Amino acid sequence: MVRRSARSRNRRQEPAVKQLPWRQLVNPYSPIEVLSTDQIEAIHQSSLVLLERTGMRVLHEEARKILKAAGADVDPTTKMVRFDRGLVEEKVALVPSEFTLRARNPERDITLGGNRIAFCTVSGPAYCTDLDRGRRTGTFADTCDFLRLAQSLNIIHQEGGWGFEPQDLPPETRHLDMYQAQCRLLDKTWQPWALGRERSVDAIEMACIAFGTDREGLAKRPPFLTVVNTNTPLQLDIPMAEGLIEYAQAGQVVCVTPFTLAGAMGPVTLAGTLSLQNAEALAVLTLIQIVNPGAPAMYGAFTSNVDMKSGSPAFGTPEYTKAALASGQLARRHGIPFRSSNTNTSNTVDAQAVYESAMSLWGAIMGHANLVYHAAGWLEGGLTASFEKLIVDAEMLQMMAEYMKPIEVSEDTLALEAIEEVGPGGHFFGSPHTLERYETAFYSPMLSDWRNYETWKEAGSIDTTTRANKIWKRLLEEYQPVPLDPAVDEALAAYVAKRKEGMPAAGK
Amino acid sequence: MPNEETDEQGEIILSDLPDDELVKQMHDDLYDGLAEEVKEGTNILLERGWKADKVLNEALVSGMTIVGIDFRDGILFVPEVLLAANSMKAGMAILRPILVSTGAKPVGKMVIGTVKGDIHDIGKNLVGMMMEGAGFEVINLGINTSVEKYLEALKEHRPDILGMSALLTTTMPYMKVVIDMMKEEGIRSEYIVMVGGAPLNEEFGKEIGADAYCRDAATAVETAKRLVAERRATA
Repeated sequence: MVRRSARSRNRRQEPAVKQLPWRQLVNPYSPIEVLSTDQIEAIHQSSLVLLERTGMRVLHEEARKILKAAGADVDPTTKMVRFDRGLVEEKVALVPSEFTLRARNPERDITLGGNRIAFCTVSGPAYCTDLDRGRRTGTFADTCDFLRLAQSLNIIHQEGGWGFEPQDLPPETRHLDMYQAQCRLLDKTWQPWALGRERSVDAIEMACIAFGTDREGLAKRPPFLTVVNTNTPLQLDIPMAEGLIEYAQAGQVVCVTPFTLAGAMGPVTLAGTLSLQNAEALAVLTLIQIVNPGAPAMYGAFTSNVDMKSGSPAFGTPEYTKAALASGQLARRHGIPFRSSNTNTSNTVDAQAVYESAMSLWGAIMGHANLVYHAAGWLEGGLTASFEKLIVDAEMLQMMAEYMKPIEVSEDTLALEAIEEVGPGGHFFGSPHTLERYETAFYSPMLSDWRNYETWKEAGSIDTTTRANKIWKRLLEEYQPVPLDPAVDEALAAYVAKRKEGMPAAGK
Repeated sequence: MPNEETDEQGEIILSDLPDDELVKQMHDDLYDGLAEEVKEGTNILLERGWKADKVLNEALVSGMTIVGIDFRDGILFVPEVLLAANSMKAGMAILRPILVSTGAKPVGKMVIGTVKGDIHDIGKNLVGMMMEGAGFEVINLGINTSVEKYLEALKEHRPDILGMSALLTTTMPYMKVVIDMMKEEGIRSEYIVMVGGAPLNEEFGKEIGADAYCRDAATAVETAKRLVAERRATA
């Protein structure tokens, strides 16, 4: 007699927070194309005319010199750089269609391009919020918790750049403490900042220490992807230019992302704003490829619209979704990996936050984004990072991951015999076909409550956000440290200490 | 079977186990839906001189109570509960004739059916399955059950409980027709009446004069056990 399980004991030992296992995702579906090939070409041609006729104002002198040496038409007085379409198309063609990012844990390496898609946590907000402590300026301790959660959530493929700003740390040295925390708390890839030369060089140097390699080794197997925004319309500022030059020279991935808000920094028409986004992205990609031909890069799109009654940005709008789908088409036209985002404008983790996010996510998924930035935690138009929204988003991302598992059609899955066996009016709960598959047949939610009304009510009528609050706290309790080689840890600490010497307000 | 990966414990010889360990093992086997093993365990206990009602209560019913709790708590899958209930039934099949011949008090009997005009019965069948799993004898009248059919079954089977289910707001008022007819015939107080179905609620149950509204199968079993015990205590 075969013996024997104790399903009871096994089940009760399952972790309190149900998660899908870590997995690199592949999007098997055809992207939704909201524009025809002719329309995409019309937008692209308009971008090229814009770059030829008007060009972009490049505030950074070195960048202008680099562009001039490559044949761009530079006006030193106005700082305007005009790009010949031949130059743009030649350089943009050099961008690789795929790249792999190296993580501390080799199992967490991610490849972006083609049908691959990865999810990355929010970055950039000035504030953080959670149900217990409310909306507040974040601290170093808060950001470290956010990093731990990014590490603990399997559906998060990349940490996006410490979630929100730890405003208890001085701005000049904040990045040093945060890079150090990212090295310590994560074994996934994480994003450094490209805001100025120093923040960029520090990231590269610290990565060399963390990976025990030099710049050449780092270029061969890049760990970094960093976002460079243009100052729409038609400007590239000094810190971003400095950052992109440093990262491109070091062979790290630059994700060029114009922040084009239709109605304010772009025309109110989506076609116009998309052509502006495309022009700016192409100009910066051209600069990257002049700096380092063949350097990996991404085509980032962040086109949304403003509320024309207030001038403030809105996210997850129908226009946003259409722009995301169209941007995917543009990126694929150029053969460059595509980045989109998961955004909303809600001030709290409510229904609006989720339906706007869902609109964004569908745009990203069906637009075939290779990286969904701000995929988890974004709230309030990006002004606040929310601990509860992080969990709500993780649930949505897990659902999207399962959505991207294609329907299998085979003799086995058609279940003809099972259907005939059960017959009219029967049920499938006990069918052998069911017994062989029930455990893994469907997605099992992490956050959704599927219990009936009375049971839910008796358990305290706990809503989604409150459940999310419990989950992130539970995940924090169960966070598994990812020990760093003590010698590496020490070397990183020494680097940070040395860099802080003589810095204003440093060492706090 | 889904539980094969945990077979590393190796073979267990049931007859080698002392009574207390055997009972524990039977709880596990019920939980894992191993009908053959549950039958074997039932026979061994009887051979060792255990009374049938002791086997029923200590090995089977208390084992299924664990299954019921984990079903209620969302730990078990429906197919697993179905297998567990079938294992329980397999053990019961051995015990029932002995229980009858010794005049031992059965766990209880239930007549259950979906009301007239309604052919939705998955939920009702789940309740029936869980009730059987808990040791109740269940007479399932199926779907589209008329008041005449319900009353006939009550007279024929003399159950402790009448269970009625409906999925539609248009058919659920029929439950009141049945209860009113029971009152008219003066037999209402002889039975526990339990009702259930997605559009029902506690209030509706009270309004139509049922003894209990049960929101799901696990609750139905708990409620049935409680009401039968209360009734027997006052009888």
